Amino acid sequence: MSGPSGAAIALHDVTRRFPLKGVPEGVLALDRVTLDVQPGEFVALLGPSGCGKSTLLRMTAGLDTPSTGTVRVGGETPAAVAARQGFGVAFQDHALLPWLTVRDNIALPFRVAGKPVNQGRIAALIALVKLTGFEEAFPRNLSGGMRQRVNIARALVLQPEVLLLDEPFGALDAVTRRHMNLELQRIWTETRTTTLLVTHAVEEALFLADRIVVMTGRPGRVAQDLPVPFARPRPVEVMREERFHEMQDSLVLALEPEAHD
Amino acid sequence: MDRLLRPFIRDWWGILLLLLAWQAWVVLSGLNAIVMPRPLDVVADIATNLPVYLPALGISLAAAAFGLVGGFMLGLGLGILTWASTIAAGMLTPVTVLFSSVPVVTLIPILARLFGYGPGTVVAITVIISFFPAFVFSSAGLRALPPGSADLFRVLGASRWRVLTSLALPAAMPNLAVALRIGAAHALLAAMVAEYLMGSSGLGAMFAAAKSELNTERALGASLIVAAISLTLYLLSLRVEHWARARYG
Repeated sequence: MSGPSGAAIALHDVTRRFPLKGVPEGVLALDRVTLDVQPGEFVALLGPSGCGKSTLLRMTAGLDTPSTGTVRVGGETPAAVAARQGFGVAFQDHALLPWLTVRDNIALPFRVAGKPVNQGRIAALIALVKLTGFEEAFPRNLSGGMRQRVNIARALVLQPEVLLLDEPFGALDAVTRRHMNLELQRIWTETRTTTLLVTHAVEEALFLADRIVVMTGRPGRVAQDLPVPFARPRPVEVMREERFHEMQDSLVLALEPEAHD
Repeated sequence: MDRLLRPFIRDWWGILLLLLAWQAWVVLSGLNAIVMPRPLDVVADIATNLPVYLPALGISLAAAAFGLVGGFMLGLGLGILTWASTIAAGMLTPVTVLFSSVPVVTLIPILARLFGYGPGTVVAITVIISFFPAFVFSSAGLRALPPGSADLFRVLGASRWRVLTSLALPAAMPNLAVALRIGAAHALLAAMVAEYLMGSSGLGAMFAAAKSELNTERALGASLIVAAISLTLYLLSLRVEHWARARYG
């Protein structure tokens, strides 16, 4: 069942305080954040480091709990969604298990869920992330970009209700990162899974998302919520359009208001 | 021949030098064979008395093997217990540290009362010697997870059992291999010390008997065999460790 708004992800009035020695009330990391993600929507959470965007994502995944406020995924608690393997996650740490091959790493969610491994599904995903021929390779023999491809494939293997991405390409060089964003856009267009992406890269957010939620730091608050107007599928040329550059410039300014004063 | 000999000399010249120095020292100083026999005489005693050495070696090896496997399983089992429960960790960790800091020699009379002056006590001693590294390294290894993997398993709704079998145990493999290497090198020595102190059976008892008969060649022969086999076990387990690191690290 869905929440009253029918949102796939509904964060309502979420506050998070972290305990700090000598400060009885703790440090306010997130201040009354409300955010809805509609089914099939790709939302990018954009903000400077330390604005609490990763904490929001971790709360959505059930890895952290709000001090006050509620988090619902398809109307349920994150724990309930995790228990039936409703999440697909890819974080900056690729978290590939070094003792498993590419194929077995992608098959891991099936095994954890106690479901029969669907080899056809795995082969299709390996083809989707363009790793055909590397099925039996171990993570240590792959490049950083290839490891993140495996990570994305593993996140998608159980056809999750919600895809949660936290700077999945953050550790990659600029050229590989741009290429991986092209790939992610292509993959996402084929699946249209409800996605929440955490990033501090403006270009990445603009190229991938349907909507960008800009956050400011200390404490983390939602500063802007703007739709991205570019039609899908987006060719790489979108990044050269004047409108793209205008939005990019204004978002960069929005991320550092104090530098602009 | 040259191909085999060269690396052998390169890796073992230190030990060869030691044996040569030993031989030279005994020959030159003219020491009595009861005080210090020549290494060649010790080797000759082993070679001509294999029917005496081999059964004793078999008993010692069997005790060491049972003790090593037993101690390893016990250490791993308790390591998993401390991984699974903080209450168990709080109870077990101080007790095992306390136990391991008691000299084994002082435990032998107590254990001998419990298990009898025989192979049972020898096995018990080797269990105690092998247990501690297995416990310490498995406790550490079960927590040395690849970055981000614990979060991944949580988001996938994995059960504790699934986390243990699919994540923590494979991640602990390199550490377990270190524990095996330390245990393997010491298990036979521990068995021999126990046999020596109780004078029951095996190479340790053989050493004790030879010593009291002033048969120094025999006593040193027993020691030499134990040293050589311990070294071999150590080198073999080093191989296992390299493999575990390459496969699971």
